[in-house]
Amino acid sequence: MSEKLTSKQMSKKITDEYMDEAFHAHENGKLIGYSTAISPVELFVAHDIIPIYPENHAVANLTAKKGAELCSVVEGMGYTSHLCAYARSDLAYRKTGITVTKGIPEPDLFLACNAQCFTLTKWFQVLARKGNLPVFVFDTPEYVMDKKTREEIVKYCVLQLKELIGFLEEVTKRKFDYDRLKEVMKLSAESSILYRKFLDMAQYKPSPISIFDALIGMAIAVYRRGTQECVDYYQTLCDEIQAKVDQGIGVLPKEKEKYRLYWENLPVWFKFSDHAKLLGSYGGVILTSLYVHAWSFEFNLDKDPLVTLAENYVSRFSNSTIEDRADMAAELFKKYSMNGMIMFMNRSCKAVSFAVPTLKEILTKRTGIPALVFESDMGDQRFYSETQIRTRIEAYFETLDRLQFEDTQ
Amino acid sequence: MWDNLTIREAVEYAKDPYPSIRKWIKDKGKKVVGSTFADVPEEVIYAFGFLPVTIMGTNKPLKKAPSHLPDNACSLARSNLELVLSYEGDLFDGFVLPQVCDTTQHLSDIWRINFPDKYVESYLAPRQADRPSARYWVKEEITRVISSLSDWSGRKIADKDLWEAIEVHNENKNLLKEIYEIKKKNPSSLTNKELFALMKLSQQVDKAELNQSLKKIKESLRYEQNDEYTNVILVGITCDPPEIYDLFDESKLNIVGDTLLVGTRYIQGIVPTNGNPVDALTERHFRRGFFSPIHDNVYKNFEEVKTLYKETKAKAIIYVHIEFCESQEYDLPDLKRMIRDEGILMHTLDTEYQTLSLSHVRTRLQAFFESLKGGSL
Repeated sequence: MSEKLTSKQMSKKITDEYMDEAFHAHENGKLIGYSTAISPVELFVAHDIIPIYPENHAVANLTAKKGAELCSVVEGMGYTSHLCAYARSDLAYRKTGITVTKGIPEPDLFLACNAQCFTLTKWFQVLARKGNLPVFVFDTPEYVMDKKTREEIVKYCVLQLKELIGFLEEVTKRKFDYDRLKEVMKLSAESSILYRKFLDMAQYKPSPISIFDALIGMAIAVYRRGTQECVDYYQTLCDEIQAKVDQGIGVLPKEKEKYRLYWENLPVWFKFSDHAKLLGSYGGVILTSLYVHAWSFEFNLDKDPLVTLAENYVSRFSNSTIEDRADMAAELFKKYSMNGMIMFMNRSCKAVSFAVPTLKEILTKRTGIPALVFESDMGDQRFYSETQIRTRIEAYFETLDRLQFEDTQ
Repeated sequence: MWDNLTIREAVEYAKDPYPSIRKWIKDKGKKVVGSTFADVPEEVIYAFGFLPVTIMGTNKPLKKAPSHLPDNACSLARSNLELVLSYEGDLFDGFVLPQVCDTTQHLSDIWRINFPDKYVESYLAPRQADRPSARYWVKEEITRVISSLSDWSGRKIADKDLWEAIEVHNENKNLLKEIYEIKKKNPSSLTNKELFALMKLSQQVDKAELNQSLKKIKESLRYEQNDEYTNVILVGITCDPPEIYDLFDESKLNIVGDTLLVGTRYIQGIVPTNGNPVDALTERHFRRGFFSPIHDNVYKNFEEVKTLYKETKAKAIIYVHIEFCESQEYDLPDLKRMIRDEGILMHTLDTEYQTLSLSHVRTRLQAFFESLKGGSL
């Protein structure tokens, strides 16, 4: 990797090469494994299976406002309008070929980890039925708060990872290489540390990054972790952001950065830049969310790789209790000095959204910060009410302004 | 209280079992441990001397649940939450709540946060069922729930307690099975509504008592064949409200097979009686069809339904879809296609808990039923 490339150039190069390799996988004797975004993909990388994330492809289409068109198609196929927009748009892509990218290669096998949600598992099963392909479900029971139960859960997950290795060996007819896994884990651990360092730069005032930068910067952590290029990318990204910090450059100028906001849930992909501009006009910057932190793993390389993999994947925010999620979010509030929160009830993501009302209650009580709650869909524009949401955002900032004014009196 | 019920009384109790449960616990001085679908081994709760009650929604208005769960959440989940938040929460001393899908996972958390003074334990059901680790996990979870109940109650149970509980539960399932068999061959012996009321009540009241009623009810049934009836299969999780069964009964449709949790999947859960009780309860988990549709393998479902259809000489399949059950919704288009490709008539009934008006269901079902009997749609 040339040192002269910027992080943006590196990201494009890594992505292009990755997709090119994926589209020619079979010519090179490799298999394509569809994976959920949160899953122990290190095992795929160590076993030379190319991971492909249908979610990422769905995000590209949804961000490009293809959601309503694709989701309408899938409803004609007999699926209901309240399923995940990633799944709906993907199933419609399979039928119509509509995509804003070059599409994604067809799978040979599936790895579905339910630490993220169970909907992905069902979606993958639908895809697997079409091609009569093997699916491995890595079941991660909720990481409940009791310590002893957690130990039992990790044991169960380690057993399953061993089964996954057996599954991969059976599908590929190749023996798994544990030494190679250790190398991959080392790279994954390094990039995770750098990725977290990048996210944590939002602590600076003014913040040099918003959540929109974090979401763009997140992609490589999702699909290339476990590789040297992923480590190099985050090193470059961190260096670039540090340079901004050193020069005092923020998303908003220091004097304009009034509200440092927390975002709950996935973004409304098709409103990505509109939201950044709208919030910025009120002096608001969304700094972070638990969602972007989902890939900042803390692998312990002194442990058996399967144990540290199990511990990390089972404990993602989406698989934690609401109380633990509240603790994780409260820690971010403190660390990033946040003074506002936007809670998005996402019709497409029940796994994250069903916790939102309770989470909002706990967080407002603990932080004393009022919350803006709005309901919409991350990808299907038919569930987005422009005027209503804009009005709510305006009203929210008026409330924050009033509270700030009262505080200064 | 439940040991001498007529079939008419059983239907009434099944519609709203809570007043009788209140009276019973007052008389007996026992604790009530609630649970929702699915897979929680109720025998374990029973062995501790508690009354296990499966919570199956309420027909009363939703007041508090919508502020916790949005309107695109599974209607059964919302209805169950409402029942405990607004109406019957005080009845329960504790809960063992199964986690089988994304919705039930959150429901457990919400439940625990809203009932800080009650015992709330999760039962982390495996969400993969075909590998050895699933069996390992079920055994671990049963053992953990026993230990948790023991900590809460301050008492220990012996194998003997578990075997006694298993015996009562097995007897209950065997009796229901026998009554179902009589009804299949003698459709006028009892109505569909009555049969499924017995299945529901069995999961909510003391089985040792109810078994006495079931024995008497079984003996009272009339054994006569009746050719006026048309056989059908009912597929799904549950069928609610129970008035839907009236529509079947009015049209002389005889349900001769089903895959419901408040039906065959429940009575399939007879526990083997050899070895040690925890192993036996684990084994049961894998012998019967899993309760949650999260495990559903469409091919397996299709084969199960097709076999039922052929063996029972049924004329159609009625699929009950509970609104906003994602697991069903991902599988249904493929299952429908497979069933229709086989040339089997299938009708999908969309329903949700809190349904008060059945007029749309009635019209669609009647049209379908008429076509079954030789009319046209």
